[in-house]
Amino acid sequence: MKKVVDKILSVVLIALMAFMVINVLWQVASRFIFNSPSDFTDELAGFQLIWVGLLGAAYGTGQNLHLAIDLLPDKLKGAKKKILQYFINLCILSFALSVMVVGGIRLVYLTFILEQFSSSLQIAMGYVYLVLPLSGVIIVFYCILEFFQIRNQPNEFN
Amino acid sequence: MNLTEVLILVISFLILLSIGVPIAYSIGIASVLTMLVSIPTMPALTTFAQRMATSLDSFSLLAIPFFILSGQLMNKGGIAARLIDFSKVIVGRLPGGLAFVNIIACMLFGAISGSAVAAASAIGGVMNKRMEDEGYDRPFSAAVNITSATTGMIIPPSNILIVYSLASGGVSIAALFIAGYVPGLLLGLGLMIVAGVIAYRKKLRGGESVSISFAFKKLLDAIPSLLMLVIVIGGIVVGIFTATEASAIAVLYTLILAMIYKEVKIADLPQILLDTVKTTSIVMILIATSVGMSWVMSYENIPQEVSSLLIGLSDNKIVILLIINLVLLFVGIFMDMTPAVLIFTPIFLPVVIELGVDPVHFGIVMVLNLCIGLCTPPVGSVLFIGCGVANIKIHQVIKPLMPLFLMMLFILILVTYIPEISLWLPGLFDF
Repeated sequence: MKKVVDKILSVVLIALMAFMVINVLWQVASRFIFNSPSDFTDELAGFQLIWVGLLGAAYGTGQNLHLAIDLLPDKLKGAKKKILQYFINLCILSFALSVMVVGGIRLVYLTFILEQFSSSLQIAMGYVYLVLPLSGVIIVFYCILEFFQIRNQPNEFN
Repeated sequence: MNLTEVLILVISFLILLSIGVPIAYSIGIASVLTMLVSIPTMPALTTFAQRMATSLDSFSLLAIPFFILSGQLMNKGGIAARLIDFSKVIVGRLPGGLAFVNIIACMLFGAISGSAVAAASAIGGVMNKRMEDEGYDRPFSAAVNITSATTGMIIPPSNILIVYSLASGGVSIAALFIAGYVPGLLLGLGLMIVAGVIAYRKKLRGGESVSISFAFKKLLDAIPSLLMLVIVIGGIVVGIFTATEASAIAVLYTLILAMIYKEVKIADLPQILLDTVKTTSIVMILIATSVGMSWVMSYENIPQEVSSLLIGLSDNKIVILLIINLVLLFVGIFMDMTPAVLIFTPIFLPVVIELGVDPVHFGIVMVLNLCIGLCTPPVGSVLFIGCGVANIKIHQVIKPLMPLFLMMLFILILVTYIPEISLWLPGLFDF
């Protein structure tokens, strides 16, 4: 299950990143070679960075990549360690659920009913912000899996 | 400023951070908890979500993933080996030569790859072994490697200076980049002096002389990699392109170079792109939540209060800069560079501007200061990598690190109190 999500997410991220590179290279080429800088690549690149950054952060949460001070979790053993790991995981889950999923959905909803459009591409801003609840749901998913992972960890006896 | 909010912000952040919640999430949770005191729940959550997304919507931030990508493309190839050989031709014969080679290679690699961690692992991976073979002890090699790897954060192109430009509300990236050269080189030189003295006292020899044709070949090999710095920085300085455009050109250049050297195949590209996304998004989520925290702080009027508090303590520039440096050294011990720059720039920059400090100069001081934190436990990422590749424990490296640390502090004092070190070069280019 996790492997499937990891795989899909990594393929999407690779595609987004490649698209972003091509987009900005096109922007540079349009300015230097064709002498007519395009507005839409500029705006699109910003939106792509939001998507790559937040979706990538969700992926990074699943891979445990984010920087943390591991002194305490490394020091504790047995049940105490598990409780701390549960709590850390719960913190990440609460943030993703409240801010990214709930706050994100409300933001998407508000920008849709207020009919906010981007200035040059005329994309509804709701679509850009959609990455917040999407990444939030993925982080929540990874956190739930992590709970089971912690529960199934063998207890260290020493 | 409401004391309750400030206490909630600071205390919840420190608790979350110290029990091991990832830094980006600690920042986000502490900020949202603080907002909930004075803002109703739903608007608070929505506002924070929006801050996170819009903070990344910036054309200048795009330079970060591109410089990371060009660094990744370079790392795949034999650039570390080429830069080491290049440095060896230049300084290898001096007494303690290999320590100098380590430092210069780290400076070049750090500048090209834009990553101190990458410099420590790529150069350290090769140099520790070679230095051990010639009688240098591992902790000393690792200490030299760790401290010199941080010079790449100041010598351009530098991602952290782009972050500072964002946090400061638009200080010119080009000016910051040029301003980084002299302090970065000075730091490298300072480290070489310390390493040279230690090597001399340990009676470490220099390497053997090499034939001219061999030296010429090694110099020639390094040129394509070094040319990237010339194209990118040259273009930015002369004003042909912006930092973001330069970063895209760097990607194209390194890709073509890697293809010519046959060091990267088309089939490798997806993995390289994914590695780039991983590194990028670690930085981006830190930016997203740090910008959110910075918004919460200004909503609570914290920067203004801290400013008047500091000005109230003293209106002496020397004293205020000393206090700020001490605070930042402390912050750097337990906080990563990116959030530290994003959170503390809006607080300290207005104070120092009022005292007549140039924002470009202050950016260099801040980054140089936080570089020291990269080499200290518990979150010194460069320290961990440096010890990891040298295969030694952290406590072993502390003793040889000390004299190098003192030199870093000394350079920090010089750069803080002599603005010309940072501002002379940009001045020549009319920035």
